[in-house]
Amino acid sequence: MIKQKKKGLYLSDRPPLTPLKTILLAISYILLFAYVFVILWPLAQIVLSSFNGSQSQYIRIGGTYQFSFKHFKFLFEEKPFLKWVINTIVIAVATALLTLLFVSFTGYAYSRYRFKGRKASLMAIMLIQTIPTFVGIAAFYTLHSIISAAIPGFSRQMFLVLIYAGGGIASNTFILKGYIDSISTELDDAARIDGCGNFQVYRLIIMPIVRPMLAIIALWSFIGPFLDYMLPSIILGDPEQYTLATGLYTLINDSRNMHQPAFAAGGLLTALPIVILFIALQKQLVSGLASGAVKG
Amino acid sequence: MRYGTTIVDDIGNEHPRRNLSLALKGEIEKRQKAEPNKDVARIKSEFESLTKSANDYDKSLADVRREEKAFLAKAPERKIGFEKTVTDRDAKIRKWCFEAMESAARAEFYGQHIELSYDYELLARQHRMIAEQLPDIASVRRKTLNELEEVTAELERAKQEDQSQAKAEFQQYRQDRLDQRKEEKANLKKLYKEGQISSKAFENEKRQRDLAASEDIRAKKQLLPVEMLSDRKRYLKHRLRHDEKQAITVLHSDIADLRRKTPIEISKRFPWVSYLTISVPGLGQLMLGQSVKSIFFFIGTLYAYLIAIPYALGRGNYRGQGIFGLISLAKGGSRLDRSDIFMIEGVIAIILLVIAFLIFYQSFRDVHKNEKRMIKGIRINNWFETRTVAKRSGFPYFASAPSALVTLFIVLLPIAVTVLISFTNYDPKHQSKFSWIGLANYKQIFLGEGIAGKPFWLITGWTVIWTLFATSLAIFIGFVLALLVNQDRIYGKRFFRTIYLLPWAVPAFITIMFFSIMFSPDGPLTNLLHQLTGQIINIKDSPWGTRIVLILLQGWLGSSYVFLLCTGILQSIPKDLYEAANIDGATGFQQTRHITIPILLFQTAPLMIGQYTFNFNNFSIIYLFNGGGPFEPSKYGNTAGSSDLLISYIYKLTIQKQFQGIGAAITMIVSLVLIFITWIGFSRSKSFREEKL
Repeated sequence: MIKQKKKGLYLSDRPPLTPLKTILLAISYILLFAYVFVILWPLAQIVLSSFNGSQSQYIRIGGTYQFSFKHFKFLFEEKPFLKWVINTIVIAVATALLTLLFVSFTGYAYSRYRFKGRKASLMAIMLIQTIPTFVGIAAFYTLHSIISAAIPGFSRQMFLVLIYAGGGIASNTFILKGYIDSISTELDDAARIDGCGNFQVYRLIIMPIVRPMLAIIALWSFIGPFLDYMLPSIILGDPEQYTLATGLYTLINDSRNMHQPAFAAGGLLTALPIVILFIALQKQLVSGLASGAVKG
Repeated sequence: MRYGTTIVDDIGNEHPRRNLSLALKGEIEKRQKAEPNKDVARIKSEFESLTKSANDYDKSLADVRREEKAFLAKAPERKIGFEKTVTDRDAKIRKWCFEAMESAARAEFYGQHIELSYDYELLARQHRMIAEQLPDIASVRRKTLNELEEVTAELERAKQEDQSQAKAEFQQYRQDRLDQRKEEKANLKKLYKEGQISSKAFENEKRQRDLAASEDIRAKKQLLPVEMLSDRKRYLKHRLRHDEKQAITVLHSDIADLRRKTPIEISKRFPWVSYLTISVPGLGQLMLGQSVKSIFFFIGTLYAYLIAIPYALGRGNYRGQGIFGLISLAKGGSRLDRSDIFMIEGVIAIILLVIAFLIFYQSFRDVHKNEKRMIKGIRINNWFETRTVAKRSGFPYFASAPSALVTLFIVLLPIAVTVLISFTNYDPKHQSKFSWIGLANYKQIFLGEGIAGKPFWLITGWTVIWTLFATSLAIFIGFVLALLVNQDRIYGKRFFRTIYLLPWAVPAFITIMFFSIMFSPDGPLTNLLHQLTGQIINIKDSPWGTRIVLILLQGWLGSSYVFLLCTGILQSIPKDLYEAANIDGATGFQQTRHITIPILLFQTAPLMIGQYTFNFNNFSIIYLFNGGGPFEPSKYGNTAGSSDLLISYIYKLTIQKQFQGIGAAITMIVSLVLIFITWIGFSRSKSFREEKL
């Protein structure tokens, strides 16, 4: 009997749809799908043209389509694409590790210790992080030659890593400090009573709790070198040392070496892992961004 | 400083003077202060009896000093006597026993002279403490060592005995337990298959069974005699190391407590050591008796005299002349001498000198403070105490030192150099040798003169337009999308969210370059436009065409991020707000306007300011899309194009056209504006206002 009644009854929590609301809902769907198209169309073109074997130097949309891997082949055989990938990964990993090392110490020290000059240096850190990295471009090149004279074997890539990591210290310290601040100090007090030293408190108490934030910091420092074009274009001289961004740009920036479909192929290969990473970790990445901007 | 009639210890307790001649001086001093005009000789005569006792005191102190010397000289003899009574063979125990006996003897000796000096009192009590505690520490070690020996012997015996039966028993138990686990798991699986427990519960239970089984097996294994004994051995070894360390630390901190409570009397009135040793950090500490601490300051001295100062004077430079390079800028130097190298090395020299100065200052302050404390009557820290303090309050400095160094040389140094370059004529004609020209660059920029300064205001205008429109568009799109997707009746939220994330997730340089390809003459989108309008519109050749496409493109790129942020905040708005609004009869539109939008705006405001500054500096989109073009030499000269932002203009000036001087000046202006804007954002943020730094 109940089943019979249910058919005629309106049982939803929400108020029933009026005709006006139905129209509004339809418009919403239309807008949303239109924007889906706006996003997917260009991205789809990248994918399509990277597999389209009927293009040679320039990308053509429409016309004959011939599925082939020849642009990928071109990338790996004619261009040092693999080298670019390796360079970028090496730089990215080194940046992430170095940033973590620096920031763990400073974030912990600034959150848990009260020392002379703390407030002043925090202010300084705040100011420093507002200064964009490009300010030093006039000095970077010469600075590298001076440092490499003092420390033989100091390569341009190492310098790039130092710039990335050093530039990230200020803002990441703030993020981590804010995060550690939110952890009760009772835990470390208890650990100290049990005889833990400074490092032990960090390693055994703080680090396990802040691991999510450390992961976010590491992830952002890792992704940074994949996205940056400007610094590598200034500091790295030789195409063999290029990162992906600078390397791929050489495929489209002058008409003699122009190979647009190969660029699409390289772009696809670069974007794919990062997109997967972003989709998998979107929540964490966004929360990391948010806390970074609010700054503790 | 004054002698005073009393002295104060570290805790703040006042103590009477025991050194009577110092006490006399203090009394005289007091009298002189009360009656400044009185004759010194007459004051002295007033204290005749005191003078006499002071003289007696000096004499007896000298006697005791002599006795003390003789007593200490006999220490080796006493040791021979102790050696007969100690039967232990362990070196550490023997050492402790001797030390305890010697301390007992000393405690007795100094105990007779406590009245003479606080030093003797401290020594007496300190040695008594050692004499009481060391034997205990030694006996604990003796006991543990004996036990260890027994256990080791037993272990050897157990190893030689036949283990097979115990082992077989254990194996049997293990097999049984594993079988039991298998059975349990099978049961679980049955329950899961029948739908009685969820997949999550199934996984959890399985893990728990695994854990329980391995725990049980491990516990059983510990019961094997060999396992048990070797465990015991490990434990004893740990005790041996750990307990001693702790006991000794306790002894040291007890002594430290004594030192805090027992004052010191010295005849020094003026902290001259700190002034005398100001130029040699470490020497002062050594003279005050803090020898280990002085080593660290001596390292600082070495740094200052072997690295910082020679470098500043031009020794060991790469090419430059240390600090003088800043003045000369390689003027008149050989062809290899470059002004920029001289400048950077000059700045490095200054940084090194500042660090050296800080070391000098710290050392002076340290010695000065300690001397003043000693004059007051406080005993300064011994190494144990210094180390304890350094471990606690020195940690933040050690922890942030590497970061500070990197920031100093990789971040601040280039900034300083850029500031300096902005005051020079570093341009294509003066690449290797440039000189100071004061504010000329800034003047050129503000007046819009010269090759490089001419387009400045045009570019600034476009930069502002770009920043406002591109960011606002992205924020608007992201906002609207977030509101639309998060409506109750929209299905497929996950799908939309994933798609809308893509422009952010795909590295921007790839999309920008790809759009650049599509808008190139004869590119796909140009052809599409041609088909739609019937005219050939070459976006990249038209200034406003390029600009509008850039703004739209940034709207496309930037909206994802805003969308994600807003979605996160929308989901966190408590539902009861809307329920309350519903009950009060608010329409959906009213709810959005009065609840959703205010919360969104309030929470995302700082991030949105960040978006504006980001776009202000958005180099890659401008440079990678059209290289800043199209070029309009009549308006912009031949460096900049009509879509160049200040940042890409700086890049072109410094990297491509080598107008580093002007480029640096523009950089300075841009940075100051940025710092100002960010600072406003900060100072309004919650954490800053609540002073929760």
